[in-house]
Amino acid sequence: MAEFDVGRHGVGSVSVLNVKGFLDAHTAPELENAFNGLVDDKQYKVVVNFGNLKYISSAGLGVFMAYVETMRENGGDIKFCGLKEDVYNIFDLLGFPLLYEFYKDEKTAIDKYTQG
Amino acid sequence: MKVKLLQGSQSKKIENAIFISVLLFIYKIVFPITETITLLIINELLILLSVFAWVNYVSEFINPKLSKPISLIINTGILNALVFFIISISSWLFSEAQNSITNSNIIYVLFSTIIVFVFIGSLAYIFSVYKNLCFHRQKKAPTVYFNTMIVFFLLTSISASFVNPITKVVDLEIIVDSDNNFLFSAFYVVTICLIFMNSLRVAWIAFLNKKQKLALLIISIVLSVLSWTNFSTLSTDEFDLIRTFSPALEQLLSLVMVYGAIYFTVIFFTTLFHLPTAEAIDRKSEELTSVKDLSILMNQVFDFEELSETITSTTLKVSNSDAAWLIINEKDKIDLHSIVGLGIIDANLISEFLIKNNLLSTSEVSITDLTQFDKKYKLPKSIKSIVAAPLSVHNFNKGFLFAARKTSRIFEDEDSKPVGTFAGFAAVALENAKLLEESIEKERLEKELDVAREVQYKILPQNNPDYKNLEISSLFVPAFEVGGDYYDFFKIDKNRLGIVIADVSGKGIEAAFIMAEVKGIFASLSRLYDSPKDLLIMANSILEDSISRKSFVTAIYGIVDLEKETFNFARAGHSPLLYYNGRNITKLVPKGMGLGLDYTNKFANTIKEMEIKLNNNDIITLFTDGINESLNEELEEYGYSRLEEIIKNNAELAVEELSNRIMKSVTTFSRNHSQHDDITLVLFKWKSHKNYKGEN
Repeated sequence: MAEFDVGRHGVGSVSVLNVKGFLDAHTAPELENAFNGLVDDKQYKVVVNFGNLKYISSAGLGVFMAYVETMRENGGDIKFCGLKEDVYNIFDLLGFPLLYEFYKDEKTAIDKYTQG
Repeated sequence: MKVKLLQGSQSKKIENAIFISVLLFIYKIVFPITETITLLIINELLILLSVFAWVNYVSEFINPKLSKPISLIINTGILNALVFFIISISSWLFSEAQNSITNSNIIYVLFSTIIVFVFIGSLAYIFSVYKNLCFHRQKKAPTVYFNTMIVFFLLTSISASFVNPITKVVDLEIIVDSDNNFLFSAFYVVTICLIFMNSLRVAWIAFLNKKQKLALLIISIVLSVLSWTNFSTLSTDEFDLIRTFSPALEQLLSLVMVYGAIYFTVIFFTTLFHLPTAEAIDRKSEELTSVKDLSILMNQVFDFEELSETITSTTLKVSNSDAAWLIINEKDKIDLHSIVGLGIIDANLISEFLIKNNLLSTSEVSITDLTQFDKKYKLPKSIKSIVAAPLSVHNFNKGFLFAARKTSRIFEDEDSKPVGTFAGFAAVALENAKLLEESIEKERLEKELDVAREVQYKILPQNNPDYKNLEISSLFVPAFEVGGDYYDFFKIDKNRLGIVIADVSGKGIEAAFIMAEVKGIFASLSRLYDSPKDLLIMANSILEDSISRKSFVTAIYGIVDLEKETFNFARAGHSPLLYYNGRNITKLVPKGMGLGLDYTNKFANTIKEMEIKLNNNDIITLFTDGINESLNEELEEYGYSRLEEIIKNNAELAVEELSNRIMKSVTTFSRNHSQHDDITLVLFKWKSHKNYKGEN
């Protein structure tokens, strides 16, 4: 199975996580570590960019569920952007769009924080 | 067998020795004074034979004790001192008495005989020790020289008995002439030469450690002096107790004393010259033993901590350091292990300093003098110089072994070698520990997988329900790691059958246990709720208390009503349901979020129910994402359309056969890629022409 990688950068008060490759039960802990880092640094406004993500499994989806409450309780959120159609379909089938905000590109997602 | 033989020969030797001694004793009682030459010769022969027998016997005892030469030498010293003591006492006791009491007096004979036996015993022991030491650790046993020396010892001793003026042999004048005197002197000179030659056999000194050498130095000088004293006292005319008894014995004793004196003088000087190198030799031999011990340990102990502690403590000893520790490179930090002789904070400071300033080499042992840095970098002042050896596994640096000195004595190349050796051991130990951990982890995972798989198999239904107008097929292919797929059938009443298909998020044992819980929830709720939507809403709220935030479950729950000929279902985040109505195939995706995603009323507000009116040969296909997410070698997904095509094209087949076709297509598609998720496929076909009056 191809590898997974997560990059992090900050845009103002917003932190962007760039997820790359295959996010499954084996690579999910890496994403968890990235989220732990954000919580440790008190960075609660998160945008996850799925532009380079090829595959996401249920265990990968679970990571967002595990952290979204913490972010929201601290005045932040997890917003998603850059999803390819097939990845979006997975989120859609599960009903994620009812719980999370999805945006076409990173900038719009970041702007959502700065505006609101 | 061998032991027995040895014991046998030993008991025989002591028998011989005692027999000859008794013989000698009786002879002495009968002939207290050796008046004729025949008597003298028999006397001397008996004496020498008994000495020979005792030496032979004592040698057997000494041989196994050669590993501790110092204690043997100390024993020799005690016997030498005993000889000295007896000589002093008896010469003082008998100096007066001797003249008044005739030599034939029975008490005198008895007393002198006992003393002579003590001398014979001491002589035997001392000589055996010398003999064994001479052969000890010698590359080639110098048997010829030593045996020649023994022969000359005997020759000198025997010839001495003929030149001795005290011997009261009647026809003395005939025997004692200049020829004989010359013969004795010649033998004596050769013997002394041989003594010198044999005294040089001191190879065993090199194998002693420094402490033993120091002890030997003192003992040898004492013994040398003692032997000289004994020799000179024996030679004086004042002490003639032994001489009257047997001139040969006296000569032999004095020769052994000469031998001892010369031998110990040689030992003294040899040890003295060996002393400066003693430490280096000690260290080398310690290094060798440590390496040997460590290699044995490596094969017995796999715990890295335990091994690394042994490694640092031996490094400390062998390299003559004051502190030693190991560091292991972790992802973005270093891990300190088994620190001896230094606090963890100081060890950490030094390690970090060396790494940051690139003072370590990953290919060879490096020595750093810390005194030039300590002011500038605030290093612990106690450590003056440090050796660092890289731990390399397959040319990959895993960490370092450090040895540090607190004294101003800087490390030299010679000191650094053992550190390199032990770093090699540490590297192997580290690798072994890692491999072991991996295999244990693998085993643990496999055990866990077995448990999870067993749980899953026990949860899934063993048989499909049998209805006259409902053909049901179910197929489950587990992935290597349990994926958490679940399906089940519930006979609600005579005319209604509940069907569920679900997929628990995550994998392995955790997924398996959530599955078990989900089964319980569906099994009980199916009896309580007639509406699939209500059932799923209830299931969601029950799950709030029982699954972790990051887990969720997707499901489709539906009820086939045999009387109304309907299939009523609701979807909670699950993959679409495929409905084939004889002409077209449709993906049915009524709204509904996954279970466990949200516990507000969002779930209840969004979920929708859908009802299908079942007609003859309609096919409903339920499946998990293991099918549509199956990948081929190009990492393309199997998707929905391939599945739809197969159903459409093979709709006339029995459901069992159809489900096999689907599975075959999926496995053919993904044959070059491993199955990473469970695959579940539940199919049913409505047969309205049959009598639909309930179950069989």
